[in-house]
Amino acid sequence: MSLEEVQSLEGHTDRVWQVSWSPSGDMLASCGGDRTVRIWARDGAALVERWRCVAVLEDTHSRTIRSCSWSPDGRQLATASFDRTIAIWRHAGGVWENVAMLEGHESEVKEVAWAPNGSLIATCSRDKTVWLWEAAPGNEYEVVDVKHGHSQDVKTVHWHPRGEVLVSASYDDTIKLWVEEDDEWICAQTLAGPTGHMSTVWEVAFDAAGQHMVSCSDDCTLKLWACRKEAGELRWRLLSTLGGYHDRTIFSVDWSKAGLIASGAADNAIRIFGEEGAAAAAAAAAGEAGGAPAAAADEEALAAAADATAAEPGLRDIFMQQAHSGCSGGVGSFRLLCKREQAHPLDVNCVRWHPTDHTLLASAGDDACIKLWRWRPAGADAAAAGA
Amino acid sequence: MAELINPAPVVHQRKETRRRPERQQADGEEREPIDALEVFEHIRDITDPEHPYTLEQLSVVSEEAIQVDDAAGSVRVQFMPTVEHCSMATLIGLCIRVKLLRALPPRFKTDILLAPGSHASEAAVNKQLADKERVAAALENPNLLQMVDRCLGSSL
Repeated sequence: MSLEEVQSLEGHTDRVWQVSWSPSGDMLASCGGDRTVRIWARDGAALVERWRCVAVLEDTHSRTIRSCSWSPDGRQLATASFDRTIAIWRHAGGVWENVAMLEGHESEVKEVAWAPNGSLIATCSRDKTVWLWEAAPGNEYEVVDVKHGHSQDVKTVHWHPRGEVLVSASYDDTIKLWVEEDDEWICAQTLAGPTGHMSTVWEVAFDAAGQHMVSCSDDCTLKLWACRKEAGELRWRLLSTLGGYHDRTIFSVDWSKAGLIASGAADNAIRIFGEEGAAAAAAAAAGEAGGAPAAAADEEALAAAADATAAEPGLRDIFMQQAHSGCSGGVGSFRLLCKREQAHPLDVNCVRWHPTDHTLLASAGDDACIKLWRWRPAGADAAAAGA
Repeated sequence: MAELINPAPVVHQRKETRRRPERQQADGEEREPIDALEVFEHIRDITDPEHPYTLEQLSVVSEEAIQVDDAAGSVRVQFMPTVEHCSMATLIGLCIRVKLLRALPPRFKTDILLAPGSHASEAAVNKQLADKERVAAALENPNLLQMVDRCLGSSL
């Protein structure tokens, strides 16, 4: 098993904070400290897979661009900046146009995330708030809600794949799950306390089915969370903690649709985690749901965790269909499959799996570079050695 | 400045330096490893934000409180504010961080920490100084950058 470097994409002149694949995977957007966004596309004429910069979006943000997010239809890109604004860009025929600016946050905007249905945009900021914006006709965006739940700057907002839950994570060490109820977004659950992270939570990601979530933190651990039904309510509980793998802050985590978790950290390394057992890995690679049953130890940890978390209004029954399809199966037994040391010569700020090509991974670093990687599973390794 | 946080700090002598001769470095040849003394040289002459003295003169930094592992690329600096409720602690830490960002090769990972027990909000200050996103944002704030640069002006 290995992670092979395919290409290094150069052009940014400062730290690259984030990369984001377009929904179809034909483009990659990147942004960073040089206050530009770069759009990369696959060079169709090249024999081997090559990606090249096809557009540079600049002169709009006056400070670092921290985050970029595609609209679900792939026609628009939202960018969030330390200059307190969010820009909306539309592209047609290779031309990019800045069509709207979202203003209202009182300090640096840390993340922007377009909801899966395309009508809502979530943003979060150093000002401790999470904002929800709704697209209106004529490139107008209305603020539909401002949430004040966190006590410190909010590092990330992330949508559940089905869009009914918005997750936020913060410098206050907590993760919050927000759901819409009567036109208002309410905090349904806070993941904190004994089972939660002990320092800043930098990012979260869901598995393909949306039944599990992974979070990464300055406490150098990854935590796996599962959704399960308890007394008629769906609650997220700690499933397991992946500790002892990272030496420094973990900035980024992503969960591929094939079931692999990638993490990027301040120790310059990228790590790949997968489920215990080759059968599970093979099933995951083939895109099948499910996996090995959770170990007894995980079940115990789960029960302990269930007692420890503070009671709050429950999540609505939006996970009903998923709940009876087996929320507790699988995912508790993740292990490290591969550690790619010095993936970048400096901090790795972001890792993102390609949306359809499940062995392609993009990463962004403090070295101003973006790298593309190929995941070679165990079988592929042996085949390569034989050849 | 209206009211000083520490109106009468103890001022120490600037220590004799053991500055080494200029590095002689042939292209791509063996380089001299970076050590605690070199890191100390970079930060000793930073001016305190509220007094016309250097961090060394106020015993905020010392060579003994710096750990360097050149091979691993790690630098750890502990600093000691003159009073334990010092509201300037974050700014002092930021100055040290920025100075080392500018002076050391980028491969070095620097941890800037308050000396244990030296400050009332030790954990909060340490957490802020360790958050590179906050540090990056601070350095894009012209007012804050001006304050940092004023403190660093003396240590070039």
